[in-house]
Amino acid sequence: MIDEQRLQRDMLRAHEDDDLTVLAALYLKAAQLRESQDAIDAACFFYTHAYVYALDAGDQVVAEAARRRLKSHGRDK
Amino acid sequence: MTVLDQEMIANVLRPIEAANGLPNAFYTDPDVHEAEKRVLFASTWACMGFAKDVPNKGDANPVTFLGQPLLVVRADDGKVRVFQNVCRHRGMILVDEKTTLRSTIRCPYHSWCYNFDGSLRTTPHVGGPGNNLHECIKREELGLIEVRSHIFMDTIFINLDGQAPAFEVHAATLLEQWKEFADKPLYHGGPDSSFTLEVNCNWKLAVENYCESYHLPWIHPGLNAYSRLEDHYHIMQQGQYSGQGTVVYNPKLDDTGRTFANFDALSAKWDTGAEYISFYPNVLFGVHRDHFYAIMLDPQGNGKTIERIEIYYTSPDMCRDDMADLRCKNASMWKDIFIEDIFVVEGMQRGRSASLYDGGKFSPVMDPPTHLFHEWVATRFAGK
Repeated sequence: MIDEQRLQRDMLRAHEDDDLTVLAALYLKAAQLRESQDAIDAACFFYTHAYVYALDAGDQVVAEAARRRLKSHGRDK
Repeated sequence: MTVLDQEMIANVLRPIEAANGLPNAFYTDPDVHEAEKRVLFASTWACMGFAKDVPNKGDANPVTFLGQPLLVVRADDGKVRVFQNVCRHRGMILVDEKTTLRSTIRCPYHSWCYNFDGSLRTTPHVGGPGNNLHECIKREELGLIEVRSHIFMDTIFINLDGQAPAFEVHAATLLEQWKEFADKPLYHGGPDSSFTLEVNCNWKLAVENYCESYHLPWIHPGLNAYSRLEDHYHIMQQGQYSGQGTVVYNPKLDDTGRTFANFDALSAKWDTGAEYISFYPNVLFGVHRDHFYAIMLDPQGNGKTIERIEIYYTSPDMCRDDMADLRCKNASMWKDIFIEDIFVVEGMQRGRSASLYDGGKFSPVMDPPTHLFHEWVATRFAGK
C-alpha cells in the first residue's frame, strides 16, 4: 500500500534537493499507482515526469520503463 | 547605416605598390562591424572554439560567438556537433554553463528533450497533460538547429550560413601545405597550456600583426636574437590565409637539454622550420616539429578582441606532470611574445581615430601578407 501523502512529501523534498534520480523513481511510483487505479491521464502525467527526470539523470532503466508505458497508452513514441 | 567609401575599398584592391590599407571605418564603425559578421564570418568558415573543451560523451559547452548563442556537444558516437543553443519551442537558452549531460539536452523551460545528435526525443504534455504527442508537433522536423561545422587540428570551424564550400575544399591549400601535421593526433597540454588575452583593438589588427615578419626585430628583439628577419619568408594564399615562416626554429627551453618529442615522420624542412599563418577570418596558427598552437580571435565589438591561445603537443607523454615545467616555459615564452604585440595593435586601433588617415601605405617587399588580408576583406565587401 503506497502512502500518497508520504510520496508527495518525498517528491517535494527531492525537488528541493534537485535529485533527478530520486525524482524519476518517485514519479514512476506515482504513475504506477494512478495506472493501477485506472486513472490513465494522471498516470501518463506522472510517467512523463518520470521519463524526463530519468533522461536528465541518465537513468536509462526508468526512462525506458516510463516511455514504454507512455507508448502503450499512445502518449509518446 | 554607414555607406562605405567604395573608392577607398577600390584603393585596397590595387596592386600593393599603389594600394592603401582598409579605411578607418573597418576599425571604428559599429555598422561595419555588424556587416562583417555576415560578410566576413557567417559566409565562410570561422573559428568558434576547440574540441578539447568537450573531451567526453555528453560534454556540452555553451559559447556566445559574434552574439550568436551556440552549443558544442560531443555525442555518443564521439562526434562533436555545434547547435544554436535554443529550444525549438520558445527559443529558450538550453545550456547556460559548461557541463556534462547524462543522456539528454533538456530545455529548462518546458522540458522538451533532445538527443546529443540534436534530434527531438520527447515533448512533455505538448498534446495536453500526460500526452506528449500532437499531430502538429513533428519531432523529425524539430531537432536542434545544427550549424555546419568542421574540426581541423582540434579547432572548431563553423559556417553559419551553410553556403560555403566544404571545409576540405575551402582549406585545400592549407591541408596540402600542412599535410604532415593535419592528420596527426594532437594532445592539449592542459591548463598550463591555455591562456587568454584581452586586447583593446579590432580583431583585424591582430590578424595583420600576426601575418607579417616586418615587425619582429623591433617588437620582439629577444626572438630576433636567434630568428632574424632574413630567416623568414612570406606565406600567401589569396582569399584564404597569409603569414610567415622561419627556417631557424631551434627552441632552447631548458638548460638540461630536455625537449618535447617531435611529430612522427616529418620531412627535413621541419627540422628547423616553423610556420605562422593567419587563417581568415579569425584564427592564427603556429606549427613546429614539436608543438602546435592556435589562437582564436573572438571579436567583442570594434575595439576589443579576446585572444584565446591553446597549445598542443605530439604525444600524451608530453602532457605528463614531469613535463609541466617545460610546458610552462613554452607557454610563458609565447605569452611574453604575444604580450609584446599588444601595445602595437592597441596603438594602431587608437590611430584609426585619425580622420585624415588613408588606410596606410604598404611596403611592397615586407607587407604582401598584410595586403593580402586587406584584399580579402575588401573583395568580400566589394561583392566580388
